[in-house]
Amino acid sequence: MVRMRGFGELEAVVMDRVWDHDGPVTVRDLFDELREARPIAYTTVMSTMDNLHRKGWLARERDGKAYRYTAVASREEYSARLMREALAEAGDAEAVLSHFVASMDGDQAEALRAVLDKFAGGRPS
Amino acid sequence: MTAALVLLGYAAVAAWCGPVLLAPLTSGGTSVRPGLAAWLSAMASALLSAALSMAFTIQVAVANWPALTQALCREVAGKMCTPQVYQSALYPAGVAIAAVAVVLAALLALWRYGRRTQRAVARTRLHARTALLAGRALPGTGAVVLNDPRPAAYCVAGRPAAIVVTSGALAVLDQPQLGAVLAHERAHLAGRHHLLATVTRGLSAAFPRVPLFAEGTGQVSRLAELAADDAAARAAGRWALVTALLAIATGMAVPGTTVPGTALAAAAFAVPARVERLLSPPGRGTVAVSGLALGLVSGVLILLPVLLAAVARA
Repeated sequence: MVRMRGFGELEAVVMDRVWDHDGPVTVRDLFDELREARPIAYTTVMSTMDNLHRKGWLARERDGKAYRYTAVASREEYSARLMREALAEAGDAEAVLSHFVASMDGDQAEALRAVLDKFAGGRPS
Repeated sequence: MTAALVLLGYAAVAAWCGPVLLAPLTSGGTSVRPGLAAWLSAMASALLSAALSMAFTIQVAVANWPALTQALCREVAGKMCTPQVYQSALYPAGVAIAAVAVVLAALLALWRYGRRTQRAVARTRLHARTALLAGRALPGTGAVVLNDPRPAAYCVAGRPAAIVVTSGALAVLDQPQLGAVLAHERAHLAGRHHLLATVTRGLSAAFPRVPLFAEGTGQVSRLAELAADDAAARAAGRWALVTALLAIATGMAVPGTTVPGTALAAAAFAVPARVERLLSPPGRGTVAVSGLALGLVSGVLILLPVLLAAVARA
């Protein structure tokens, strides 16, 4: 189940796993899980989780010799944040996003639907 | 001094009257790339002209400040400009204050451009990064899915860039329609349309209320949309693209996406211009003529400041 996300792909895999756990996880926990799916070094997992901690995605607290990591926010919270930014009134959004289509007003949608119906009706199938 | 004033005058005409000339030529979206080129050339032309004007003025000012103030006096006031005027202490002081004001205004514009652009790039990259980590990969597409009932699809530049589709969009799209949506977003990224948006928005922030930048930003974004539509229609078919637009815009599935015949008679209905263009595309001849005209306009716009500078200095 290798995902093609280019650079940072391992970070996405680690976040997926952390979110799938209910409680805190250690580097050892994730290393054991990931090793089953792909050849990977313990230190790679460790540095990836350290990076995610540094970038503000994972919180950690010391437990004996190891760190126990938890996600700072849930996947749903990040999604909600992204959608808020993406669907904000396009006018003054700071991030540059290219939407496929903004919502049409009722008249436009109605007119377009009429065209499509007319065409679909006359189309030999 | 004449050269500087002529160039400044041209820059002002281009900035205030440019949209009046370009909007009718590009509004139909007949030839998209030449249309984009024309708007960007007009912006470059106005900026180049203003920059040349400033450069000439600074050159004269550094070489001979009294000569500049005298020349300016004669250019602007003509016979009203007597030696008493430019030999008084008040007049050079006034010109100096005006010069400082112009330089400050230019610096302010530069700072506004930088601030707006920097923020946009930072927000955009953060958005892409967050989407790639928080979204679930949509197998075989390179896109990520966010869990949200509202149908939406968009792309966001970054390192790497992200294409985002909501679960609400997936619910109303069939496979060919999803293909059209993804092809549209990939075309935006491949065409680097985010750079066009970032630069034009930065320019409208730098020069607020200047029509060429204010209107040009919207026009460039609209033409980029049409360019992505063209790419998506080629990759996935016009019918899949049009029905995908309707499905996402209304949040309802639009079934039946087998390949339609040629031109659809859409003119009788008030459909959005973007859709009408897809349903009845312009003929090759029209596209060629429009492209040629817009290419000429772009060439003239770029050459004018250079020619004006050369002629006025000669």
